[in-house]
This record gives sequence, C-alpha cells and structure tokens, in this order.
Amino acid sequence: MPTTRHHLNNARRRQARAALRTPVATDTPRDRAEPPARPRPAAPRATTPVVRDAPPPPGADTDPPRQRTPRPRPSRALVALCLLTLLLGGFAGWAHSRAEALRDTPAARDTALSDTARTSQIKGQTTKAVAALFSYDHADPEALDRAAGQWLTGPAVAEHRKLFGAIRTRAAQQKAVITTTVTDSAVERIEGDRARVLVYADQSSVSTAGDKKADDDGTYAGAMLALDLERHKGRWLVSGIDTFGR
Amino acid sequence: MERATSTPARTRRPPVTALALVLALIAGGFAGWAGWDWYDAAHDDTVAYAEQRDAALAAGEQAVQNLNTLDHRSLDRGLDLWESSTTGELHDQLVSGRDAFAEQVKTAKTVTTAKVLSGALTELDDRAGRARVMVALRVTVKAPGEASTDKDSRMLGELTRTDGHWKLSALGQAPVGGNPAN
Repeated sequence: MPTTRHHLNNARRRQARAALRTPVATDTPRDRAEPPARPRPAAPRATTPVVRDAPPPPGADTDPPRQRTPRPRPSRALVALCLLTLLLGGFAGWAHSRAEALRDTPAARDTALSDTARTSQIKGQTTKAVAALFSYDHADPEALDRAAGQWLTGPAVAEHRKLFGAIRTRAAQQKAVITTTVTDSAVERIEGDRARVLVYADQSSVSTAGDKKADDDGTYAGAMLALDLERHKGRWLVSGIDTFGR
Repeated sequence: MERATSTPARTRRPPVTALALVLALIAGGFAGWAGWDWYDAAHDDTVAYAEQRDAALAAGEQAVQNLNTLDHRSLDRGLDLWESSTTGELHDQLVSGRDAFAEQVKTAKTVTTAKVLSGALTELDDRAGRARVMVALRVTVKAPGEASTDKDSRMLGELTRTDGHWKLSALGQAPVGGNPAN
C-alpha cells in the first residue's frame, strides 16, 4: 500500500506541475479524474487553488510534496504588517513632535501665574526680601548686613551695595529710619528655578536727629524695580536688581 | 491533518512574521501613547492659560505705551490709537474728553513718547476675560523750546477681553504713601 500511494503521489505531483505550466487547459479534467484515488472526498477543497489541490493523503505528511510549494515570498500579511509598522511609527514620531512643539512654546515654559503656588511663594519672598534689603534703622545697622547675607546671591550682592551704600551712610549720619514696603508686585516670568518680579514699593525716610525736626513727617517716595530671583534649597534668593538705569 | 498544506509555509515564515507582528504592536503602542500625549498637550489648560497670559500682557504693555504716546503733529492718529487700545469706561472717558484734550495738546505742541521698562500681570481670570497689569514706564515729554524730560511712571491697569482682544479698561498710577503720585 505505501508503495502504491507513493506512486500515486508522484503521479499527482507531476500532474500538478503540468497543471502549473498549463493551468487552464489541463488542470480541470485531471483534477476531476483524481478524486476516486483519494481516500478523502475532494469536495471541501474544491475551492482551494489548483496548486494546493493535490495534497498528499493522510499519512504522507512528511513526503516531499511540501517542496513543491512556491519559494517563500513575503506573504500579504507580512507586507501589511511592515506597512502598518511604518505607518504607526511615523504617526508616533509625528504626534510626539507635535506634542513637544506644543509644550515647548515660550508661553508654556513660563509658569508665571499658571503655577499659582510658585507664583505666590515668589511674591511672598520678594516682599520680605525687598523690605529687608531696602530698609535701614540706625539703631540696628547690622540688620542690613544680615538681610544681605540672607537674601542676596551672585551679582546682586555688588548691586545692592552700590545702590544702598550711599543711602546707608547718609542715614547713619542723620540717624534715620528708612522703611521700604512693597505695595504691588507681579511675577513677570518663572522658568524652572529662575524668576523675574516687578515690584512697586513705598520708601519712607524719617530722620530722628535732633536738628531735623522739620523732617519728622518723613519723605515718601515711590520706587519701582525688577528683581531676578534664583531658587536655592527651596528659597528664592535675589540674584539681580534692576532699577531701570536710575 | 487538513492544515498540513499550509503548515510548511508557516513553519518557514514564523520568525519573520512574528517579528513583524511584534514590531507592529510596539509601533502601535508608541503611536497610541504619542497620540494621547499630543491630545493631552493640545488640550492642556495650563498651556492655554499661559497663552492668554502672554497675550494679555503683550496687549497691556502695548496699550499702556499707546496711551502715553502722543504727537501734536499727528493728533488724530494718536487719539484713534488710544481709543482702539481701550474698552469700557476708560474708552468712554477718552472719547468724551477727546476734543478738549486735543485742543490742549495742539496749544502745548508737545511730543510724548513712552517706553515700557517692564511689565507683568498680577492677576488673570482667563474665563471671565479680566486681568490686572503692572507696567513700569518711562515717559519722555518734549515741549517746543525745552529740553525733553524723562519721567518714570508706575502704571496699574485693568484689562478686559473683548472679541478675543485684550484692551485696557482702566489705567492709573500706583499711589505713593497713600497719595496718588504726580
């Protein structure tokens, strides 16, 4: 029996090859001629392509017929998968760049006002820093140095000394009390650990020297300045003082 | 047994097909994530808020500068600009006082220019379309036969959004020591 089957298979293979070469002319009649030799009904396979229509019968699984299948060429599924991968990958890259572009605008990087916690923290610390840095009491001249040490960093140290040095000397002579109070402040921008704040402040100066009674009511002046701030260990320090060239 | 015919093809291709499938799935994952990320960024309230903030500040600075700029030689253009920069009560005041003010400037023959030194918003309600702005301004006035004088102004303004544009609805100087500055 196996021998017969083998011959049958060989015969079918030849037929199939012939069918491949001259598909229309030959395959139909031969195909029809075969069923009797088959152990299984051909009906279920009637719709399958001709090439596959000459399968080995059961038990002949390991037979050479499989070499008859066409050289492996990329299946439609594979091509579709590759295209899909390219499309999806392309979309991913494009969507990512769109998202980055949206987030990387100057407006989005600046969190002034939009980060309410940080904005109010900066305003609060600015108010304290300005009050400490631009006030002077002849009774406690060291307070100004402490304030400078506590609030200033970088170039602001020199800027503060230049701005307030002369005022301090005069205030010491006149035994004056200079009090600076922030009246308005607004955060211009916050970029990470850097910020810039615009400040309006009132500055009152009262001289307590005996011969200056007339000035006891003191003088008021409005000041405006912008401060650059930097965050160090959770605290905002003044790193630049801009008095707009005045 | 019936699948025997297709098995050869499968046993030969699996590595490539499976690899392609895995790659497609990975790409799909990235695409899904990036798409969501993009959607998220596009609908981020914070970004929209930040854009409104910058728009309001830019409009506020420009409007404050406009209202402190006037050349007696081109009064109409200057005053038109004043009116187009403002809305609400401030706008009404400017319109009603326009003629009298134009006369004054014509007589004084002054040229006033302004430069914004710095500006920032103190508050922004982007839903209501209201904001408050601080603008530090340097105003230069040139009168005929006199040297020009510089004066710094600490402006406080209120902005209102009308038809998508931010305009000044109030403007004044920050008071000093409880008294209005001059």
